[in-house]
Amino acid sequence: MSEAGAMNDAALHERLSRIWAPPPGMLGFFTAVNHRVVGLRFMVTAFVFFLFAGLLAVAVRLQLTLPLLGVLSPEAYNQAFTMHGSVMMFLFAIPFLEGLAIYFVPLMIGAREMAFPRLNAFGYWIFLFAGLSLFVAWLTGYAPDAGWYNYPPLTSRGFSPGANIDFWVVLITFLEVSALVAAVEIIVTILKHRAPGLTLARLPVFVWAAFITALMIVFAMPAVVLASFMLGLDRIVGTHFFNFAAGGDPLLWQHLFWFFGHPDVYIMLLPGIGAVSMIIPAFARRPLAGYTLVVAGIIIIGLLSFGVWVHHMYTVGLSMVGLNFFAAASMLFAIPSAIHILSWITTLWFGRLEPLRTPMLFSLAFIVLFILGGITGIMIAAVPLNWQVHDTYFIVAHFHYTMVGGVVFPLFAAIYYWFPKVSGRFLDERLGVWHFWLFLVGFNVTFLLMHVTGLEGMPRRVYTYLPGLGWDGLNALSTAGALIMAAGTLVFLVNLFVSWREGRPVGDDAWGAATLEWSMSSPPPNYNFLNIPFTPSPSVAKDPASDARAPDWQRELAEARTGLRENPVTSIVEAKLEGKVELPMPSPWPFWTAMALSLAFLGVIWYPWLMPLGLGLAFVCIVGWHAPPRALDPEASPGNGGPGPDPASRGTAGRDALSASHAGLRSPILWGVIFLVLIELTVLVLFVASMLYLQLGADTWPPAGVGDTQTGLAATGQLLLLASAIPAWLGLRALSMNRTRRYLVGLATGLVLAAGYPALKFVEYGALDFRWDSHAYGSVQWAMSGYSLFHVLVLILAGGVFWVRGLRGHAHAGRVAGAQALMVYWAFAALGSLFFLGVQYPDLLPWR
Amino acid sequence: MTRGRRAAAWVLVLSGTAACHGEQTILGSESAAPAAIESLWWVSLVGTGLLSLLVMAGLGWAVVRARRAAAMLPDAGSAPEPDRKREDAAILLFGAGLPAVFLLGFLAFSVRTGAEVALPPDDPVLTVEVVGHMFWWEVRYPDQGIVTANEIRIPTGGPVEVHVTSADVIHSFWVPQLSPGKIDMIPGRTNRIWMHAETPGRYRGQCTEFCGLQHALMSLLVIAEPPEDFQAWMDARQAVDARPANAEEERGLGVFMAYGCASCHVIEGVVGPGFQRPAGPELTDMGARLTLGALTLDNDPESLAGWIIDPHRHKPGVRMPSHRMPDEDLSALVTYLARLGRSARPGR
Repeated sequence: MSEAGAMNDAALHERLSRIWAPPPGMLGFFTAVNHRVVGLRFMVTAFVFFLFAGLLAVAVRLQLTLPLLGVLSPEAYNQAFTMHGSVMMFLFAIPFLEGLAIYFVPLMIGAREMAFPRLNAFGYWIFLFAGLSLFVAWLTGYAPDAGWYNYPPLTSRGFSPGANIDFWVVLITFLEVSALVAAVEIIVTILKHRAPGLTLARLPVFVWAAFITALMIVFAMPAVVLASFMLGLDRIVGTHFFNFAAGGDPLLWQHLFWFFGHPDVYIMLLPGIGAVSMIIPAFARRPLAGYTLVVAGIIIIGLLSFGVWVHHMYTVGLSMVGLNFFAAASMLFAIPSAIHILSWITTLWFGRLEPLRTPMLFSLAFIVLFILGGITGIMIAAVPLNWQVHDTYFIVAHFHYTMVGGVVFPLFAAIYYWFPKVSGRFLDERLGVWHFWLFLVGFNVTFLLMHVTGLEGMPRRVYTYLPGLGWDGLNALSTAGALIMAAGTLVFLVNLFVSWREGRPVGDDAWGAATLEWSMSSPPPNYNFLNIPFTPSPSVAKDPASDARAPDWQRELAEARTGLRENPVTSIVEAKLEGKVELPMPSPWPFWTAMALSLAFLGVIWYPWLMPLGLGLAFVCIVGWHAPPRALDPEASPGNGGPGPDPASRGTAGRDALSASHAGLRSPILWGVIFLVLIELTVLVLFVASMLYLQLGADTWPPAGVGDTQTGLAATGQLLLLASAIPAWLGLRALSMNRTRRYLVGLATGLVLAAGYPALKFVEYGALDFRWDSHAYGSVQWAMSGYSLFHVLVLILAGGVFWVRGLRGHAHAGRVAGAQALMVYWAFAALGSLFFLGVQYPDLLPWR
Repeated sequence: MTRGRRAAAWVLVLSGTAACHGEQTILGSESAAPAAIESLWWVSLVGTGLLSLLVMAGLGWAVVRARRAAAMLPDAGSAPEPDRKREDAAILLFGAGLPAVFLLGFLAFSVRTGAEVALPPDDPVLTVEVVGHMFWWEVRYPDQGIVTANEIRIPTGGPVEVHVTSADVIHSFWVPQLSPGKIDMIPGRTNRIWMHAETPGRYRGQCTEFCGLQHALMSLLVIAEPPEDFQAWMDARQAVDARPANAEEERGLGVFMAYGCASCHVIEGVVGPGFQRPAGPELTDMGARLTLGALTLDNDPESLAGWIIDPHRHKPGVRMPSHRMPDEDLSALVTYLARLGRSARPGR
């Protein structure tokens, strides 16, 4: 062993703790980036929103106890049910599950941190600001009031003139930024930072679920972002995407919304399935039965969920053939779901079950409720039955069985199961059992009866009803059930507070489970793993024998010689060690970036010019955010020439076997950018699909009176943009050969050429005789060009920053991944606008 | 504000208005199409119910088994290495095979039911156009040239075709006992559905797409009558003479004009449409309708007077403004409106 090997574990612990410590104090609160800090913040904040939305539900139930009550005014009621749905979906379920993944995925895959810690923190601040803003809107009487799916034309300016709907539109778009960055974060972490030897085929099921969920977010969320962006434009600048009188179509909203909305249901459901798939084997003292089938089921659900959105739209008047297709697709869900259930039953069947503890109680109840929600799901997939029960309380009952039974129950199971790891203490078992029975009984009293209420004809979303329709007694009982659920939640809160301080202490492993998160102390040290585990056994065991022959790289990572936060990098499928990354330290910039974006998004409700201002400030913050990293504590770096980020000096030290520079598809940064571009690409494809949808539904497209378009100018601008990628790419090649001067020349040439695009766009649109507010055709044209323009401007700004950094000597072959990422974005901007151009000016297509 | 509303609610309950007009239930079909859907419901309930009971029993038994295994070998640590192939086969058989068989059957049944109920079996005997408004229903009989609101009179014995659209936001048309479910009323589109009443009676319907502040009290009444009664009603309705018949009614019409009611309401042969599409219900047969405010109140002179003075008290958010007026004016207006459509039908 080398001299560094002389450091014992205690000294290493001391050193790593210091490097990884979240910054102290009030200021530190705003700069912390550690995944467990951020993950816990996500969960706590989302849980507070859960309590708030739960109280709203109680208010809703109280109003409906008896016919014609006046507990809530119609305005207050409509705001309450809208907020209940929106908050539960957007502010509780998704952020909580993402928080759970952010906290536990690195622990389960043997990583010290997520791939992009600052992005992680940024996502949290966005979530917090958006959530608080929605809360403030509610307090001031401006809560959204048109339901969580916000259908136009009710939500157009004409029928909802107030700021209420503006808040929904702006904040949902904004919130999805948070969901999307967290998703990219989770994907890249799972792809690139698994412990060496932890192949995809050995991933714990929860990690698989988090991974598939995150992928679904990447492809589903853009639909709601696009839809709410269009609605925002309709409301704020007078476009006509959803206005049928001017070539738009209100049904376009429904297609886009449910293209997101249905995957969204499974985005919330899958993490629960993953959690239960880990809890049951832990208590049955055996591995999960049918692991491969369970994972395949998760993947199939993820894929299927994108093909069933129309089952929310059976009553809009579509053709019967189409409806039956979607009915068949919807019923298919029963198969992967049944496979999951059978795998849990089989696991128990051949297992040895300790006395039932709360995580198991909630898991078993989840299975039963999931079955009940599943069978009503099959029923309402049947087109004619759906025609009757659609938008009645039957549907309310159904989706609460899936959303409470299928999401909240497994979440409670997960909280009881993993709370000991987070807090170091068990949740109280006696209170837990009370919580369980109150919640279970209350839930069924409330929602089982609602099936009947719906069959008796009560529509949903009514603030009151007349007596004598047979709904009175059922509603009174449902309210009683809701109060019992509230009591159960109260017991849970007491349990959380009491157990956090005085609960029974727990060792490393609370339940005798087999996964990696139970291999370190509870709560885990700041750095998670002193020795990064390797070649775990097939059951992903925390195999003590794996420490027997510590390889050099393990030692190197344990010693953290650079004084920076380091994470191992492994290959995507086989998890072969490729090196390490040096992660950024705590920073206030994510906070400020989120602030600037809040200004942009919220400000636009009152002053449209705040949007560019906020975006500009955000750009400045992002530049600050990406300043080159500095070691926290250079002096503490033992036996190494220096801590700096410069790889040249480290290469001479000789002992650092792990490379910290990764190019191409080995680089986590590049994967991050690839997924960001995939999100953008999804927006782009959905945008084109939306345009074709409007075009096919229109009598004439473009409408009469649209004069000549500036085809020549548009084509020239596009050619310049395409051409700009060539010198940029040559520059990139030069950089990988460490020819910095050539790189800078190539980059500059590319940027100058690219600048021709916005210049010509301004000329082109200045000369157009149709506007965005004259017809949906104009809306589409302007918005598409605006989209391309925005990306090219961002490209030029980002490229400019790279150029300046290069001039200052920060560009060299060891840091090529950043420039490659820029190049990926460049290609997207150039090809994306080309794609739009073909749609906007079909005359340019060669086959026309 | 809230106190006022609560008081209003209690007034409604205690005054015994808003009595039930017809039923609105999925489980009491009065016609072949909803009855076919109802059987689909019962079949799916029994089928999925049995299947899920089977699965739950399996789950319960698995828990009992696993507890016993632990009790018999308390210190054995982990269970023995499982037989993966056998387990996978069991999971596939019960998790994929069983549901697949059931689903195929259920899907076929559902598709068949859908084909059965989607279109009427015979040529329609009547076509009705229904236009959704915030928060009432405009009902037009295009072939007969008459317009009414919130109440659809149809003959029994044959299918009635219903064309729906909306004048503002999306609503949804639903009369569960007579129609194969519901159909959305979307501005800019015309959707179709059909109704069929086998027995005379009153059938309730309600808007089922959230349409704004007063979505809750946007209800609909279908009155099915034997064909000859329907024809008699139609003849009478077409013969309605809405012109004032005496001095009191003259005064009522004067009040109607003076308070600007004509800017939203049409009375055929007396005041024409102020806009292309009326913003409020046509009043030509006002007195003959059973309810006010889309089934919110019973239609009697007292309620009508209360409605005119302050409709928001009974139906907050309704588009009609309040009208404070001297008692004599109100009484003349109510006399006139209550007579509209009524004189032609003695005995009602």
